Amino acid sequence: MIQDLLAEFVEAVNFPGRHAREWKKEHGGRVIGWLPADVPEELIHAAGFMPFGVPGGHSGVGLADAHLQGWVCSLARSCLALAVQGQLEFLDGLIIPHICDTTRMLGGIWQHVHPLPFMEYYRLPRQVERPSARRYLQAELQRLKSRLEEFSGREISPEQLNRSISLYNRSRSLLRTLSRLHRENPGRLGSRMFYDVVKSAMFMPREKYTGLLEKLVNCIQKEKMERPASVRIPLLLSGAVAEPPEILDMIDQAGGAVVADDMQTGYRYFAVDAPEDGDPLAALAVRQLNQIPGALFDPRNNPRAAFLVEKARNHGVAGVIFLHLKYCEPENYDYYDNQQALDRAGIPGLRLETELGTSSLEQMRTRLQAFLEMVEGTADGG
Amino acid sequence: MADKIPFRTSQLQKELMAKYYAAASEARAAGVPVAWVTAVFPVEIVYAAGVFPYYPENFGALAAARRVAGKLSEAAEARGYFYDLCGYARCGIGDAYSREHPVGVIEKPDLLLCANTQCGSLPKWFEAAARFYRASFFLLDAPLVDEGNSQMVRDYFVQQLQEMIAFLEQATGRPFDYRRLEEVLQLSNEACRLWNEILDTAALKPAPFGFFDACLHMAPIVTWRGTREAVDYYRALRREIQERVEQGIHALPGERYKLYWDHIPVWPRLKWFGELFAARGALAVASQYTHSWAYRFDPDRPLESLAENYVSAYVNHDFRRRIDLKIQLMNKYRVDGYVLFSNRSCKPNALGLYDKSNEISRLTGLPGVVFEADMADLRFFSEAQVQSKMEVLFEQLASR
Ligand code: SF4
Ligand code: SF4
Repeated sequence: MIQDLLAEFVEAVNFPGRHAREWKKEHGGRVIGWLPADVPEELIHAAGFMPFGVPGGHSGVGLADAHLQGWVCSLARSCLALAVQGQLEFLDGLIIPHICDTTRMLGGIWQHVHPLPFMEYYRLPRQVERPSARRYLQAELQRLKSRLEEFSGREISPEQLNRSISLYNRSRSLLRTLSRLHRENPGRLGSRMFYDVVKSAMFMPREKYTGLLEKLVNCIQKEKMERPASVRIPLLLSGAVAEPPEILDMIDQAGGAVVADDMQTGYRYFAVDAPEDGDPLAALAVRQLNQIPGALFDPRNNPRAAFLVEKARNHGVAGVIFLHLKYCEPENYDYYDNQQALDRAGIPGLRLETELGTSSLEQMRTRLQAFLEMVEGTADGG
Repeated sequence: MADKIPFRTSQLQKELMAKYYAAASEARAAGVPVAWVTAVFPVEIVYAAGVFPYYPENFGALAAARRVAGKLSEAAEARGYFYDLCGYARCGIGDAYSREHPVGVIEKPDLLLCANTQCGSLPKWFEAAARFYRASFFLLDAPLVDEGNSQMVRDYFVQQLQEMIAFLEQATGRPFDYRRLEEVLQLSNEACRLWNEILDTAALKPAPFGFFDACLHMAPIVTWRGTREAVDYYRALRREIQERVEQGIHALPGERYKLYWDHIPVWPRLKWFGELFAARGALAVASQYTHSWAYRFDPDRPLESLAENYVSAYVNHDFRRRIDLKIQLMNKYRVDGYVLFSNRSCKPNALGLYDKSNEISRLTGLPGVVFEADMADLRFFSEAQVQSKMEVLFEQLASR
């Protein structure tokens, strides 16, 4: 039973466009894509479109060369490469969030290279602590809503939006439960599988996904009584995305397990809900403002470092792995301070620089194994 | 080719910049807070608040021009700041951690005021600096503008200016002086007007003044904008250029072609480019970089007009609009070709240049090149590669 369920999630991740194509055929609807992170999928959903996440691709990254210099992160390059290769042919639109200089510039290039009937940006505020941020954010959400309404030809009623919000909250809450179960027995699913389940949310119609997820959570909860928890070296992963996914396999194979993270395709995706009482647009703004700290926001005094330390402690992790995409500036600017904070707290850290679509991963395996051996020793001794 | 006659005003600039750096220490001694600001920043408010504005980007450009950017960067790289980051930021961070200071010590901030109109590197750099120097950080957030959102972004910016004024009142312990702001805005207007009149002379054929000259004369419009000093400086420079026009002294004797140069120079190679172009009779005459200081404020609507000007900086626009703006400058200066600098340090300016180049040539019929380098760091400069790119352009120019 569990195996069949898991197979569905894995298939969604291995063939990301499958559900979108089927959904279009069945419903005759339109699919609006989004790039990470933080795009309010609830708005797309409430407008009657299927939201589809594009958190990078793995093939033909070089096809972006003519448009994006080689010193641009492989996440952006691989997304554009997917479009150039015709692998996103089912998209009727795309929303790009402005979270860094690359995403800020990518939209115009995308529009030029591969125009879509609907293209928008999500220009979220980059400061979140002052009153102006909330007011602006609400206006921006209102603007996005109107643009989606124009494209769909009908209004999004508050009731509709509320329904979408509660559907998304429901799936996020299930993901939080799953993540707790994973933490309690990280050998059950393994890191690769856990993050596949999270990621498949981006590729499936949300109703269907939530149904499957609910079944999965129930099954795991039930069998919990019967299965003893396996022992793994608990780790925290910090970065934008868990890419390439083989790294998760390597961690699993080396006896580790990722039990906490701050990633856009991980905890950041399901950490925070939107309130379900009151004005739904205001609720989406609140969700954004309450997001966990990350490289894309500029909070004073970097609560991100404190956040990482606290999370590492709360979940008793043996070490932190920074998974940084090469050329990702926001992550690199934060790194030194984050590492310092970990050092002060006595938590070992390892920085790995990765790229999507590269094949030379063996060196990384060696470094990971060495790190795991090291932290295992420390964990025993402590 | 005759040697270039140096500008008399250059000496004046040296004195003015020395005065600027001295003013920072004097301010500190007198208990005036020193605030780090970004190049495209409503510094008028900072001056009006009686706070001293310091430009760390200038420090980076200076280090780059003196060819020590790589050296300073090493100290940052040793701490895990990678060489893929903006070169200015690496210079600034590197200097903070360095024991050697080949271009003097970067001024320590009491406050950090940052606008992200230009890029997302500045806030990340300033934030890191705020932690290092234990100073408070204020971000002026400027989302990218287009027709669909420009009004709401302006409203957002005005509200943030009010928040910043409150922040500065706290820092200085004094109420903000709006009358003083009016004066500063007028001074800023005047300096910008003079600066752009000067830039315009590059359209004359042959021209008395080109883009590389502009790069050497722009420090005051960045750092002294909003003061009497900037106005006096550009009056003197304009007078000198006027004299040169009358005496027939040209920026490039035997000027054959005018080129548009996108973005900033490769600082450590400024002279090399100048000579390479001069040898072929080509003069770079305009650039979005030097033309960025073309503000016109309405002192009767100070905050609104500050928002309008600073939010609609060139670099805060999207792909299409930026192509239009480049073409407008190309038309205005009647250029024969263009050079686009794909600056590894500066994603907001470099990304999309290859597609933009195709579009510009399609729309204008002008020949042009895109070349790869870093504005500060010579580790990313391949002379042979750049030269061969330029040769292709020169051949195209010659065959037109
Ligand atoms: S990986 Fe970094 S540089 Fe790339 S899109 Fe994400 S935040 Fe921007
Ligand atoms: S060079 Fe570019 S990235 Fe660096 S500070 Fe200037 S605008 Fe920002």
